[in-house]
Amino acid sequence: MILGVIKVTGNSLSPEYNDGDFVLIAKIPCFLFNAKAGDIVVFEHPVYGQLIKKVDAVLEQGDKIFVTGNHEQSIDSRHFGAISKHAIIGKVIWHIKKPAS
Amino acid sequence: MIYRLFHILDKKLKFNTAKAHCDIPCGIYDPITAQIAALTTVRMIDLITDLENKHTEHNSEYVNSLSRYVAIKEEHAEKAKHDIRVIWGDYIKAPHLEKHPEIPALVHKIMQLGSKVRQTVDRESAVQFVEAINQFAEIFWETKGLTTKRAKAPYGPALEFVYPNL
Repeated sequence: MILGVIKVTGNSLSPEYNDGDFVLIAKIPCFLFNAKAGDIVVFEHPVYGQLIKKVDAVLEQGDKIFVTGNHEQSIDSRHFGAISKHAIIGKVIWHIKKPAS
Repeated sequence: MIYRLFHILDKKLKFNTAKAHCDIPCGIYDPITAQIAALTTVRMIDLITDLENKHTEHNSEYVNSLSRYVAIKEEHAEKAKHDIRVIWGDYIKAPHLEKHPEIPALVHKIMQLGSKVRQTVDRESAVQFVEAINQFAEIFWETKGLTTKRAKAPYGPALEFVYPNL
């Protein structure tokens, strides 16, 4: 398992995760990673680049994952469909919130 | 404190970013702009018809007015189509389509009627254009959890508009 630090941009996961927050992610090899609903994952999308979203549901024996944001306007699986498990870069294991200014 | 440490490290190391992406401007959608644009096309057809009835001689005054009415009709038919396409493309999602499977056919009908309004001065098509967009507005507001009402537009031609009950 390798760790990585990622800075969040955008607000589709607010109020839990806000623009400017940091997250520590565990880069778990996909064959070992069992995503479950509620996990916050960082993944690569061919059009939108590196995204952070919440796992809504795991489909097709764990190969496809439906990810969503917290808002109707979030660009997520409701817009681009379920993502492949192989697209996942890591799972959030620590959230460093930006203090309220 | 911990955030500040990460913030300083970010300045030095430039951490990767992950987007919690939203569709900017985050939810400002309203079909009323398309409804007004469609109604404008009906108004332009009425003005073109009036002009034709008033002017037996097709002088420069006539040509100038006719050109302006036609240009506005073109512009507003296209604007109505554009505004519906934005809601269709950016706002409507799979759950909306599951609940309202008639949306794709309705959007297609709006596109076709909009083109007909550009090509012709058929008032009936323009009225149907307004009505199809009204039906789209009813569905749109329903997805927002709002009921709607129908009332005559407060300007000519006073066709019915769908408004949300706010």
